[in-house]
Amino acid sequence: MTRIPRVGIGGPVGCGKTMLIERVVPVLASKGYSVSIISNDVISKEDANRMRLNLATKKGLLPENLVVGLATGGCPHTAVREDPSMNLAIIEEMESKHQDLDLIIIESGGDNITTTFSPALADYFIYIIDVAGGDKYPRKRGLGIETADLLVINKIDLAPFVDADLQVMEKDAKALRGDKPYVFVNCKTDKGIDQVASHIMHNVLFDEPPKAQQLKR
Amino acid sequence: MSTDIFEQLGIMQLSDSFFPSGIYATSNGLEILIHDRKIKNATELAELIKVFLRQQIGPADCVALCNVYDFIAKNDFEKIIQTDQLLYSMKLVKEIRETSTRAGIQLIKCIQSFKDEKFLKLYSDSITIGKCTGVYPVCFAIAAYGLGVKKENAATMLLYGFVVGMIGAALRMGIIEHFESQKIIDDLKSEIVNAVQKNIKKSISEMWQFAPELDIVQITHEKLAEKMFIT
Repeated sequence: MTRIPRVGIGGPVGCGKTMLIERVVPVLASKGYSVSIISNDVISKEDANRMRLNLATKKGLLPENLVVGLATGGCPHTAVREDPSMNLAIIEEMESKHQDLDLIIIESGGDNITTTFSPALADYFIYIIDVAGGDKYPRKRGLGIETADLLVINKIDLAPFVDADLQVMEKDAKALRGDKPYVFVNCKTDKGIDQVASHIMHNVLFDEPPKAQQLKR
Repeated sequence: MSTDIFEQLGIMQLSDSFFPSGIYATSNGLEILIHDRKIKNATELAELIKVFLRQQIGPADCVALCNVYDFIAKNDFEKIIQTDQLLYSMKLVKEIRETSTRAGIQLIKCIQSFKDEKFLKLYSDSITIGKCTGVYPVCFAIAAYGLGVKKENAATMLLYGFVVGMIGAALRMGIIEHFESQKIIDDLKSEIVNAVQKNIKKSISEMWQFAPELDIVQITHEKLAEKMFIT
């Protein structure tokens, strides 16, 4: 059984993790990539249900059963780091039944800025914050912001309304993360979404064509 | 160092909440009982846990674990398969079955990553080909055996782990506080000991579980759209 590449997406409550997935998956699907989603949620399966409705039922971008919601017993970061057993179990079940998948996206439950993913669970880690939390966030460090393979800063349209200076956030992100990339996005308008998808295609899928296309050759 | 100390370390390792199995995400239906105010305090929680121990975990899970130990000693792997399938068939609630096998399989994989033991491999291979389900108590028995833990201690650990899991879920849901949680564990020690003593010598033909009201509670919980715990 081949290991299917996995991207972990973490970030604070309400920063736009689910919406980022809802915006990135159509871009990947348009390139022919087959994606599944595991959504860890703190209280409900609402995010999974929403993504299933928007991406599977309405748009038909993936089968409904490939969007899975997972309760975490109130321990969102434990479920993706210290004890990712339940996530791994679901991934292994997916891998055994859907070897045609190109990518598995694992959404963490909303958590604090110390969230990271176990390397056993995710091959690539995206940490997302939003400007509404203030432009101090990158400067405050935190393992997620510091160590993620890609830092995404969302809701940039709100910056003027919350006195957040995007230049300060950019300067702090660069200072903290060195050469590691960051992207400013607005999930509402898709600004920056192509860049996020490109990072995934390049760094996780290594610019390989989708499996479905490879099989046709 | 004596083998006793290695056994004790094995007990500590497998009993530690740091050991990864995913079980912390389950409440066995406690979440909906708290939400519906059917369980409101430490006393009611302790009574509920006793029902689980007497009606499900003791007569089914504990008996399965003890028999797996005996079958390992007799080198009878076919009986282990039978125990696995029998116990799986007794877990009537879908999400409980799924969680039990998911946690069990991850437990076996974890132990296999650092232990090379015959029954670990046999059982793991049988799960892969679909001959065994990987139900948690059977996995726990094989894992504990692999870590050099004696049968009675393994049975005690299994029951203790269940008790702590329930109390941990109650603590996170806010009906008890941290001192109370330790008092409940202390109060339930004799219940755990009794459950082990009562079930340690039973054969698999004497395995049973009967808690229909709890089954209904768990079925109701698994269908909730908004919940913090896997059933």
